Amino acid sequence: MSPASSHYDAIVIGGGHNGLTAGAYLAQQGRRVLILEQSDVLGGLAKSQTLESGGTMPRYAHLAYGLSPKVVDELKLSSLAMRTLPTTHLSPDGNHVEVSDQGARFVSGESHPQSAAYESLRHRIRSYSEALAPVMHSAPPDIDAGLGLSALRDLFPLATAGLKLRRQGKDEMREFMRILLLNAYDFILDELDDGPLAGGFAADAVLGAWAGPRSPGTVYALLHRYAVTANATVPVGGMEAIIRALADSATAAGATIQTSARVQSITVANDCVTGVVLEDGSSFGARAVLSSVGPMPSMRLAGKEHFDIETVRRIRHIRAKGTTAKVNLQLKETPVFSGLETRHLGGRLLIAPSVQYLESAFNAVKYRRLPDAPVIEAVVPSAASGTSATAPATLSLVVQYIPYHLDGGWTDAARASLSHRVINTLSSYAPGLEQSIIESEVLTPVDIEAETNAPGGHWHHEELNTDQLLTVRPINGMARYQFGVGGLYLCGASAHPGGDVSGIPGRNSVKQLIRDGGV
Amino acid sequence: MARFDSYDAIITGAGHNGLTTACYLARAGLKTLVVEKNDYIGGAAVSRELHEGWTYSNCSYVCSLLREEIVRDLDLPRHGLQVIPYPGGVTFHEEGGYFASYDDHNAMRREVSRHSARDADAYERYHQVVMRQCRFIRPFLLRTAPDPLSMKPRDIGELVFLLKRMYDLGGRELGEMIRFWTISIGDFLDEYFETPIIKSSLAGSGIIGTGLGVYSPGTAYVLLHHYMGDVDGSIGSWGFARGAMGSISNALASAFREAGGEILTNAGVSEFIVNDGKVTGVALENGDEYLASTVASNMDVKRTILEHVRRDAMPAEYVRAVERFKIRGSSGKVNIALDSLPEFPELPDNGLSFRGDFSCSTSLDTLEQAYDDWKDGKFSEKPYLDMLIPSRIDPTLAPNGAHMMTVFTQYAPYDLNVDGVRSPDNWSEETKAAFADSVYDRLSVISPGIRDRIVHAEVRTPLDIEKEVGLTEGNIFQGELTFDQLLFNRPVPGYAQYQTPIEGLYIVGSSTHPGGGVMAAPGANAAREILRHLGKAKTMPAWKDTEAYA
Repeated sequence: MSPASSHYDAIVIGGGHNGLTAGAYLAQQGRRVLILEQSDVLGGLAKSQTLESGGTMPRYAHLAYGLSPKVVDELKLSSLAMRTLPTTHLSPDGNHVEVSDQGARFVSGESHPQSAAYESLRHRIRSYSEALAPVMHSAPPDIDAGLGLSALRDLFPLATAGLKLRRQGKDEMREFMRILLLNAYDFILDELDDGPLAGGFAADAVLGAWAGPRSPGTVYALLHRYAVTANATVPVGGMEAIIRALADSATAAGATIQTSARVQSITVANDCVTGVVLEDGSSFGARAVLSSVGPMPSMRLAGKEHFDIETVRRIRHIRAKGTTAKVNLQLKETPVFSGLETRHLGGRLLIAPSVQYLESAFNAVKYRRLPDAPVIEAVVPSAASGTSATAPATLSLVVQYIPYHLDGGWTDAARASLSHRVINTLSSYAPGLEQSIIESEVLTPVDIEAETNAPGGHWHHEELNTDQLLTVRPINGMARYQFGVGGLYLCGASAHPGGDVSGIPGRNSVKQLIRDGGV
Repeated sequence: MARFDSYDAIITGAGHNGLTTACYLARAGLKTLVVEKNDYIGGAAVSRELHEGWTYSNCSYVCSLLREEIVRDLDLPRHGLQVIPYPGGVTFHEEGGYFASYDDHNAMRREVSRHSARDADAYERYHQVVMRQCRFIRPFLLRTAPDPLSMKPRDIGELVFLLKRMYDLGGRELGEMIRFWTISIGDFLDEYFETPIIKSSLAGSGIIGTGLGVYSPGTAYVLLHHYMGDVDGSIGSWGFARGAMGSISNALASAFREAGGEILTNAGVSEFIVNDGKVTGVALENGDEYLASTVASNMDVKRTILEHVRRDAMPAEYVRAVERFKIRGSSGKVNIALDSLPEFPELPDNGLSFRGDFSCSTSLDTLEQAYDDWKDGKFSEKPYLDMLIPSRIDPTLAPNGAHMMTVFTQYAPYDLNVDGVRSPDNWSEETKAAFADSVYDRLSVISPGIRDRIVHAEVRTPLDIEKEVGLTEGNIFQGELTFDQLLFNRPVPGYAQYQTPIEGLYIVGSSTHPGGGVMAAPGANAAREILRHLGKAKTMPAWKDTEAYA
């Protein structure tokens, strides 16, 4: 029996944005809650790192897509001031395209010839995805619940979404049903010529995914991503502001947060959780445990003997092959991109100059190779988050498609090769960048998994494809956050509705836990 | 001298679907005419003697999907149709070794366990899941897809039928269905099997005829599309039509003529004549005009609408939707006359005991790479081949001792990429020969010396298939089998019940639900819709008890 034993209503494993969100909701509901984070810094995939110079930069995620306004509102995260970032779609010929609320125009100021077509396409996607917001904010329906009152309540969000879509008119509804499982390649190129504008749009559909624009289902991924907020945003103060706000909200409501607390196991008695044991030997009791690490790590913590064989098999077959690497650069000076002004650096820069380019980059990952020309989403964190410029200057790069399983493994040579390809690609848009680099850090999907426990280092903890969505996410039969053992819940991105820094899985899991009477 | 004859109904295109529609219209007492551009009937289900003594199924080559309800109802066996099942096949590993497949479940299980005991267990589960999906889908093949936005009692009824069947599956099975219908065949097989050759052997059916790769989501459905048929009630089995595939068309034509129908060959359509939003007949390329207030097109929807109807006769949005409909050429075909039976030294008995389909692939990666070649506008360096020697089972196809071989090839592009330029014009004698060589090279891996046995070969690129058969881009399904183009989305949302915006003009080919393959279901479903509009629905069987077949 451990000496430092104490009892909570609920314990949350993982102090990422979803774990903190879940903890904050529980505390808000008056539950005694303990949040455990293995690392010494909170944030998980949304965490920031402190540089030697004292500045900070986002370690993994550098933008918040779809941070739920509901979460912000319900947890009273009033300190958060979100900035919507314009996107600049870089073009190899220097005719970069800037996309903001004012539409698409060349950086030279000229309007883009396909601006109208682009706007109408984006408008269509947004009107569909807005209708889906209720579906995101509730647990997927339970088909086996029959048609009782409670089951109808579960179907309500779906019905609301359907009704919202139907109200847009018959033609729009038909179009929605056509494009639902369509691929981004056809959806976009039916309306636009291939180029930076189309490529950047397609990037929004596939960023983080093991899927190319030609893969069916990528339009749904786009709808899904836009469902909560259709823009890339970043809070004033950077991504760490989100984590700080969530942590503050949780502690203010009475939650205890403990960092450097590695969970060794989830204790189970009579098929119900009883608490957790840490690697340092301390143990905590609880009626409920919410885990924001993926299904496989969660199952391992609880012990797979508590799961039926079919569940184990399904969990083993979850697809979570990360395709995104992170490259963090420290530079002597703020980078200079040909053709761009300083103000553009306050936005999001996309190197996805055509849909074809994206598809070619995807080809390599299928055969566990590095793409010659990767897709890059670049952010200058200080400029984007409106904080004063740091010295050294930083450049944060999300790089795709980078295989989790690389042929030959992630050797130092392989990392160097990845770094070389990234710098090479960037240099054609920002000549002289290479000479400016003081330090570069490469985080492969394998590194990301090792550091954060995100399965496969995957952006969404689990591939966001139709066969792993809604009622079949994370696996068929476990879509309602409850995870095999009584009182054990998933509250991370592998649960509905998936990744991006939204906070929704954290929120939904607590709602479900309370509804189930678990705490 | 131009002719101006009048009919109750005209069908353009004597493919198997057109003929099926024609049969039912004629049996309902309509004076029906079928016009066909070629000098032979059958469309893509034909028997052609292209080399003296050898008969080729030079387009479609095997039979399973043909709905037995239709076969029985039209009494096709009496009109000469005989389908002979063939037992299983062999997938060769390019570096030696093979995986055989059998119709017999126990034989199959033994063969799987020869490679992996674990896979043998997995095969039981895999087989159950696929068969369960087959049983679910089969009753929908002969039903018109409901319009989910319609308030008509019939649509609501059909929708309720669909939803109830889904609900009856229960949560777990419904979840499995959602997964199966949206997952890629590669990911699906990876969940079950560990042996690459088994996976690549099973994956073939997931890509045949499509512009998708084994790792494209939705290809498990394509596999299902190839499994949901049967030969004499044996679900998932395939067979040969005795006398080659043309005997299906010939049997349908015979049934049609018996019902009083008339077929005109060498009669290509130049235009569907439309007046005041109504079709009034067809104008032929030779200047003749035939009048009818009901016209059914067996051509694919793009060819029908974009090439043969005046644009101003249709709403612009409809035309736009048809333009957007994806029909991508991805398959080629090589038909070969052999002077003797090829040998397969890898197999026991030199292969004498195997009479089904042969293919050669190594792993799912090889198949995916073949797709990537195609995306790039090239024919696959290592294509997926589905090769059969029907004369092994049907001796009417080749002279004594000689054989006929049919080789289906996936992938071959329509707009071939030569030096960075993609165009169908790049298919020249030279590029065609290179394409054929890639196929022969692959064949030589499994049957060394096969080149020396070749007496004659017909090489068909997607462009050839388009030109001769009339299928846009040579796509064998008249439209990709992806979800945006299935059920109530096929071919155009809101026009998925075989109708068009033009009154009296119908689409009855594989561009419509339930899609391609020699199935005859689109043709029969379309006939039922046409007859319903004419108030003669009762002349056709309703097949409501189709569960009996499921």
